[in-house]
Amino acid sequence: MKYKVALVGNPNSGKTTLFNCLTGSNLYVGNWPGVTVEKKEGDLKNTSENITLVDLPGIYSLAPYSMDEIVSRNYLLEDTPDLIINIIDASNIERNLYLSTQLMELDCPMIGALNMMDVVEKKGISLDIESLKDSFGFPFIEISAQKETGIDELIQMVTENIKHPKKREMPKIFPREIAAILKEFDELLQGKYPHILEHYPMAFRSIKLIEKDEEVLSKIHESFGLLEDIYETRKKIESFSGHDVDSAIADYRYRFITESVEKATKIVRENTIDFQGKLDKVLMNRYAALPIFFLFMFIIYYVSITLVGAYTFGAIEWFINEVLIVNVAQILVNLGAASWLISMITDGVITGVGAVLTFVPQLIVLFIFISILEDSGYMARVAFMMDRVFRRFGLSGKSFIPMVVGLGCSVPGIMATRTLENERERKLTAVLTPFISCGAKMPIYVLLASVFFTANQTFLVFSLYIVSLFTVFVSGFILSKTWFKGADSGYLLEIPPLRLPKLKNTVTQVWQRIKEFLIRAGTIIFAASVVLWFLQSYTFGFQPVQSPDQSMLASFGKIIAPIFIPLGFGNWVASVALLTGVAAKEMIISTMSVLLSGANGGFPAALSQVFTPVSAYSFVIFVLLASPCMAALATMKKELGNWKDFIFALAYQLGLAYGVALIIYQVGSRIFG
Amino acid sequence: MFTLKDLRPGQKACVDSIVVEGIMRRKLMDMGVTPGVEIEVNKTAPFGDPIEVRLRGYALSLRKKDAQNIIMI
Repeated sequence: MKYKVALVGNPNSGKTTLFNCLTGSNLYVGNWPGVTVEKKEGDLKNTSENITLVDLPGIYSLAPYSMDEIVSRNYLLEDTPDLIINIIDASNIERNLYLSTQLMELDCPMIGALNMMDVVEKKGISLDIESLKDSFGFPFIEISAQKETGIDELIQMVTENIKHPKKREMPKIFPREIAAILKEFDELLQGKYPHILEHYPMAFRSIKLIEKDEEVLSKIHESFGLLEDIYETRKKIESFSGHDVDSAIADYRYRFITESVEKATKIVRENTIDFQGKLDKVLMNRYAALPIFFLFMFIIYYVSITLVGAYTFGAIEWFINEVLIVNVAQILVNLGAASWLISMITDGVITGVGAVLTFVPQLIVLFIFISILEDSGYMARVAFMMDRVFRRFGLSGKSFIPMVVGLGCSVPGIMATRTLENERERKLTAVLTPFISCGAKMPIYVLLASVFFTANQTFLVFSLYIVSLFTVFVSGFILSKTWFKGADSGYLLEIPPLRLPKLKNTVTQVWQRIKEFLIRAGTIIFAASVVLWFLQSYTFGFQPVQSPDQSMLASFGKIIAPIFIPLGFGNWVASVALLTGVAAKEMIISTMSVLLSGANGGFPAALSQVFTPVSAYSFVIFVLLASPCMAALATMKKELGNWKDFIFALAYQLGLAYGVALIIYQVGSRIFG
Repeated sequence: MFTLKDLRPGQKACVDSIVVEGIMRRKLMDMGVTPGVEIEVNKTAPFGDPIEVRLRGYALSLRKKDAQNIIMI
């Protein structure tokens, strides 16, 4: 018998940490069907039974307002797990138990795991778990996922409860009169509408119908009589409580919780030493908060992009070009492989995939920083600080982080959008992040600036960053009112206490993201590299090319070159360079240098025959704004989750790049001749 | 009559009612902003909005335009 256990709890309750404690290495990470919410499953460790633990998204309630809530609810209702582990942050017990009062209505055996008991004890508070059990009707256990205490006991408790599920009595959350109204409504349902949501748990069904829950109402066929009955019941509740139904139900739940918690809480001693609180006061000081934040951002950028990059980038490039390619070629020659095969593996696969892999060390460091920002609770504070600014452009304060990361590489930048809860803002941020100029584009700017703008090199590069920032804000403003239009989900954000991140958690998270990156490099980018190599190495007659201008890619370049005439770089060299740039932006320069290698006077001189200063500027603007490399495109596709948004994003990025470059060239060439 | 928006950092008061309909109302309730609960304002964000408040033993941040819809007593 294979059992299913669902892990449910509030955001910031330590759910991920507990999940990592409870499961071994046997982890499955995927998506919930149809949505881009991450789904994690793993086998419960240290138990004699065969139990799968499913990690549900962190939610505050079972109301169907966010994708996280809908996913969790549908899972609990349709897939009916054998047991729920309800993780409760005991240091924030009232709000956390609110979800518990809703989960209790699902008729599923439940265990309350009171997490962060170490924090509670430090505050000098003790909780009577027997008293909580009496009030709530399901057992509790004290744990600390951070300190890994109580974990074995929890697993033992899960194993026992799952083998011998106990029927429990519904606790009395609502006062007698309200309970009577609910009971009456339920009997009415069973008598008059026996087939309405019949497989739903009774209490859940009644309350959600009375609350006029949109999801539930959408599942029943329009029944006028039922709506009338719901209206009558709502009126009864309103006249008894003196509040509207929503306030009344939420209020009764919280009153029940406050009473039960008061009964179970004992203050052992007063304790006011609160280091985290003091740290928070410093970090979030009204005047110091922003400078400290920008300092953190600078450190992250400097350490991962500049410092780590400087050491590892050259080394990995050297390893790939001088060691790997040389030796693999040698081995293949010794094995008697055909020369086209050797070329495909070395020039195609190793070069293509290798260009992406050179970023791995930087990515690891970036992901470590992001993970620490998230786990420490600082990310919520970033959203709090930046909300005012980003709200104007249809984004959220949290959009700032992916964009900072995107300065290094768009791939982790787009992956970092996952920290945004709101789907619309998440997608919009994923589409806008590639407008932030990534590190791989920098050499192109520097090269063209050194050839065409010798006097104002720094100014030119700086102007590109201004253009990129401007594009992000204007596009955010426009897209949030058009394609990514949607109800503003509003801003209501818990600011969790600052916590020291747990090393094991950081390692797990970083590894999961890196693994995802590597898998993508090994599949999509592998395939694309082979295709690109083929187009670059063969003519349309499938003959190996003698000189680079005979290849299929060059022919494509020549075909599409006229498109770029209005932008000022309608020559096939620039077009082919842009095409290879789809593989990796670094290839733009190397392609041009290969294609222009025969010219007199070296590379710079050859470049000035291909470009004028104005068309060179138009070219870098196009490179800056046009769709990113295939690694970033693949990531963007994954985060957007569907082809429609992806194709729109592609069209928007290309169209905008074309439009801006067109204006710059047409205006620029008239001014500067 | 005053609203949560009118409180300065350090001041506290109890919720009387929430005068907005729809999702934000439900979300506020889910987060524990129910009639009678005591809310203290902690601080204002560097750009003047949103604000951070403390209720039921935890910190919550919300925009001033939403705070304006929470009537206090």
